[in-house]
Amino acid sequence: MNGPPQKLCLDEWDARHASLLADGMREPAYGGLLSRHVGERGDTRLRHLLFDSSAAALRLWNFLLTEEDRLRGHRAAGRKLVGAMKDLGTVPVMAFASPDLVAFYPDGAWWTPCLMEHSDGLLAVADRLGIDDSFCPVRAMLGAFVTGSHFPIPELLVCSAGAVCDDFSAIAQRLEPLGFPVFWWEIPRRRSPEPGESALTLPGGLEAPECQIALTRLELGRVRLALEELAGGPLDDASLSASIRAANLIRRRLRALRDLAFTAEASPLPALELLIAEMLALHYCSDRDESLVVLERLLAEVQARVAAGQGVLSVDAARVFWVNPVADLRVMNLLEECGGRLCGTDLMFGHALVDIPEDLPPLEALARVALADPMVGPAQDRARMICAEMRRLGAEALVVSRIPGASHCCREGDIIRQFVRENTGLPTLEIEVPPLSDAMMPALHSRLLALVETVIGRRAL
Amino acid sequence: MITAGIDAGSRTIKAVLWDSEKSAVVNSGAIDQGVEQRRLAGELVERLLSELGAGRPPIARTVATGYGRNLIDFADARITEITCHAAGVALVAPSTRTIIEIGGQDNKVIRLDESGTVCDFDMNDRCAAGTGRFLEVVATRLGVQLDELGLLVQQSRCPTPISSMCAVFAETEIVGLLAGGRHPADIVAGVQAAISLRVSSMAGRNVVCPICFTGGVALVPGMAKALQSALGHPVAVAPHPLLTGALGAALLALEI
Repeated sequence: MNGPPQKLCLDEWDARHASLLADGMREPAYGGLLSRHVGERGDTRLRHLLFDSSAAALRLWNFLLTEEDRLRGHRAAGRKLVGAMKDLGTVPVMAFASPDLVAFYPDGAWWTPCLMEHSDGLLAVADRLGIDDSFCPVRAMLGAFVTGSHFPIPELLVCSAGAVCDDFSAIAQRLEPLGFPVFWWEIPRRRSPEPGESALTLPGGLEAPECQIALTRLELGRVRLALEELAGGPLDDASLSASIRAANLIRRRLRALRDLAFTAEASPLPALELLIAEMLALHYCSDRDESLVVLERLLAEVQARVAAGQGVLSVDAARVFWVNPVADLRVMNLLEECGGRLCGTDLMFGHALVDIPEDLPPLEALARVALADPMVGPAQDRARMICAEMRRLGAEALVVSRIPGASHCCREGDIIRQFVRENTGLPTLEIEVPPLSDAMMPALHSRLLALVETVIGRRAL
Repeated sequence: MITAGIDAGSRTIKAVLWDSEKSAVVNSGAIDQGVEQRRLAGELVERLLSELGAGRPPIARTVATGYGRNLIDFADARITEITCHAAGVALVAPSTRTIIEIGGQDNKVIRLDESGTVCDFDMNDRCAAGTGRFLEVVATRLGVQLDELGLLVQQSRCPTPISSMCAVFAETEIVGLLAGGRHPADIVAGVQAAISLRVSSMAGRNVVCPICFTGGVALVPGMAKALQSALGHPVAVAPHPLLTGALGAALLALEI
């Protein structure tokens, strides 16, 4: 721990950085001033964010914001890059089983701070290619591929089809004729087993018919072949199992971090850093080992703060369960400004947080986890899991954040809210957060503040 | 003690002065919104206070609400419209379980428990559909004043279905309907029905009676009836619905 926790703006972080260095902070190669990312990459949105003051948070941010450098480093070192698209947490585990492959998440281009200022023109490129703003902001990925300005073009794109969002499919399909070959694999839409049908419980507690698991396993077998061809060597079961164990280490650290942060009396880590940390479970920011280190530092910081009874927010903050990532990171700051705190999240990839079974053949284990993806099944399944988590974590309210144009969100929010209302009686709110939400900020502020006032009012009963 | 509640809405600024000794509203008023919201709100409150005559006590505390609340820097606290409308309704219609508030740019469904505490709420999305602004667009296109819509709607014999709830598209649709010879009164009735259906859809299955209708749009004749029809439940218009939020703010000022 390095002093009482605070939230700092970018300029304040520069002073804080100097003071931490003077106190002996040792940084990794990608360390340095946070403010440099504004100049080097045009991440001007960072100027509008408030950051946690810990060295661990600095490391997290620098890790996130230097991924492009890392990808170029991997390429320079002769490793092959695999763009894992749509799939959240399965293909990267397979790719990292080979020392010659590195997976990353091109979809994540929509989420980069510079995109949020529209300063790099990615959306304009997508517009020109016919993927306009009626689509999800993931369309920024299309611009990033065409301009080559964000990440090195991967040698292989592995993209799931079937039970995935329509927007994403349309965007990924647009890539193929532009000369970016896509390896497609199908994920079936998870359904409840028929009476008498042979079924299995998936990691996380959902059920799926065995025939769907078998299909997914076969599909992942095809992915394995494609990855082997790219790597120029076999991805045997032993290396896949080792990769699963390594992935589970990260998932366990993340779960420990989340549980501690969500249940502590005073929130020990801001919502923004919690959101960023969760993303590491998906793709490791292109460095699995370092992801683990970053998470361990954060966990140690949170443990120290909890032990010292320190938090970044008042203990009275309204305990809010948050559904879906935001398209503008400032909204996580806004929640806290309005008097709320995170006490739980479902950011669409709960299956990337649960352990992958280590006692099964690796493709069977990965198939079960892939089918546990909350987004490949009925919204009611997801709503049920959210309700259970809200109860476990003592939530006082629910926020469903909608992403404009995202077809998987258009009705799902209503279903989740209705389910939560009927089963918990807690107040719920659905908001739409566009990538550039400046004009929406007063309305978002009012809605979140009203939710917090409602929670506080209900406490008096 | 006198407290002031200011509701700085998108179309009008409303203010209420509450006398806690008398447990009564001692003055209230509303003016059109403008660029200088702080000045306008200050002048309104000063005028209301001066109308009370010499010897009146000063305002002890002020609460601001409404979308412009953060600009009212002389207020002692700022509270959202959800909480303020609930507080206002708790006084004027204490048995209310659902508040429907339609203002200039927002509409809200607020659910209350038996004690009048807010349980949950819904608000419209960012577009103007189903708000007072939508009615303004319609009035402009029909060449009437907003407050004349109510009189007009009473002449309707056959409300025209309006398929578009986007303020921009609806304007285009209205042009087409007028060109097709539809009577303006039927168009207005159709618009009111469309707004009511939208609110009803937002309220979903969670409407519990009694229902109280607040906000400036509640003053438009025909709207309560249209809402009642869409919701399938009786809808009571709050006394002085334009002032409910400001009243709640004045009451909440007693508690800060």
